[in-house]
Amino acid sequence: MGRQYEIPVGAQHISLLEPLHFKFTTENERIVRTDANVYYVHRGIEQACCSKFKFRQVSFVVGRVCGLCSISHTTAYSQVAEKLLKIEIPKRAKYLRMLVIELDRIHSHLLCLSHVAENSGFEALFMKTMQYREFSMELLEAVCGNRIQYDFSIVGGVARDLKPETGQLILQRLKNFMPQLEELVGIYQHNWTLSLKNKGTGVLTREDAMRLNVVGPFARAAGLAVDVRNETEDLLPWKEVGFEMITDTAGDVHARNMIRLREIGVSIRLIRNIIDGLPESALLTETKAFPDGEATVRLEAPRGELFYYAKGNKTQVLERLKIKAPTFSNVAGMVHAFTGNEYGSAAAIIASYDPCLSCTAR
Amino acid sequence: MKKIETNLADLKKDIGAFYKPELHHFIVMNAVQTGEKMELQWFFSDYAFPCETTCFYALISPGEEVPSIKDIVASAWVAEAELVDLMNIKVESTAKGFVLEPDFESGPLLKKK
Repeated sequence: MGRQYEIPVGAQHISLLEPLHFKFTTENERIVRTDANVYYVHRGIEQACCSKFKFRQVSFVVGRVCGLCSISHTTAYSQVAEKLLKIEIPKRAKYLRMLVIELDRIHSHLLCLSHVAENSGFEALFMKTMQYREFSMELLEAVCGNRIQYDFSIVGGVARDLKPETGQLILQRLKNFMPQLEELVGIYQHNWTLSLKNKGTGVLTREDAMRLNVVGPFARAAGLAVDVRNETEDLLPWKEVGFEMITDTAGDVHARNMIRLREIGVSIRLIRNIIDGLPESALLTETKAFPDGEATVRLEAPRGELFYYAKGNKTQVLERLKIKAPTFSNVAGMVHAFTGNEYGSAAAIIASYDPCLSCTAR
Repeated sequence: MKKIETNLADLKKDIGAFYKPELHHFIVMNAVQTGEKMELQWFFSDYAFPCETTCFYALISPGEEVPSIKDIVASAWVAEAELVDLMNIKVESTAKGFVLEPDFESGPLLKKK
């Protein structure tokens, strides 16, 4: 056995987007053990939602859990509140929720890909990916009014309608983006130096993904077919708009890149179908009821399964709200998949996990 | 959501009999204060459509130590560590200081009396 060194990474580190701490134990540059903690960004959001805010205001609070996937949080919370209120929202509102969720997935996946490129030492690809991502931010602003933290889903439906000209703008911009996406797929798939860095690195097997209950692109890249969009039809009609699950088998950083790129293609197809088949109806179901009983909701955020539990007591303020973010489910898999890799690859592996600590610690 | 009542003595046996990694996916643990007691919940979902959510729950008294299910569900240590920090629940062989810094005030999510 060689001499072992402990290397702390984070909470502030050039390869980390958010405050997360890893302690790597290395032997001859190879990681033999990883410890992690996530204790830098707890904000007490669950407590605030059950004490300071009325249940209709909570969708605006949980939209601040995360800047990247706020639509997932506001939608999941609105859905769980709607279950407690026992209301069904209009079909147009369901379609519009799916539209914004998929636009959000495009920008989130491109952000992750750009950081994998940067952490792999490919600065120019980082710049290019971020440049191509910009259209999705502009479309989100056109639809929701904000580039991030869009309070689009509210209890009972959605806050804004989609104007016909905005729908046409989305279709046109997606058409313009297609050659750029193909260019990105080509680079991420075939670039030699990126392949050297990413292929066979940070591997998580299907068995380990299953054993460690990993979710999202992290799991699907390992061959574990888990996607809430494929598993639920009651709240949002994913199959009606043509959802198709993407999986890979390699389970390495490269496979995660390719999963995200191919999922962007699926998102584009879903958005086109949503706009083409957008039903005419109201945007909101009104009720004067108060939340009662308990309910759970699962929703596929860009990083995987988002879970909300809520308990109401027939008052304006919830008894309990529990949020489980995708990264929270992936912590065990993240820690496991470092083992056996060179320390020099840790930065690219971390980025490929696409961790979101704002969601995890809340 | 399907709710199944259990107790701390039978917890490992009940979850061990239910949980099959190839069929079920562990979601998270949760705790809800119900008067003097606390309702602890363990959520699972099926992999296959329609993917029903199953919740095992047990009522515990203040100060009671909860058995860990880490040997049944390998990833459960994350959820157990969170409950130790945020709800001030004692969980077998789980130290505090994963979700909150080690010198934090215990149980910030507990309701103020």
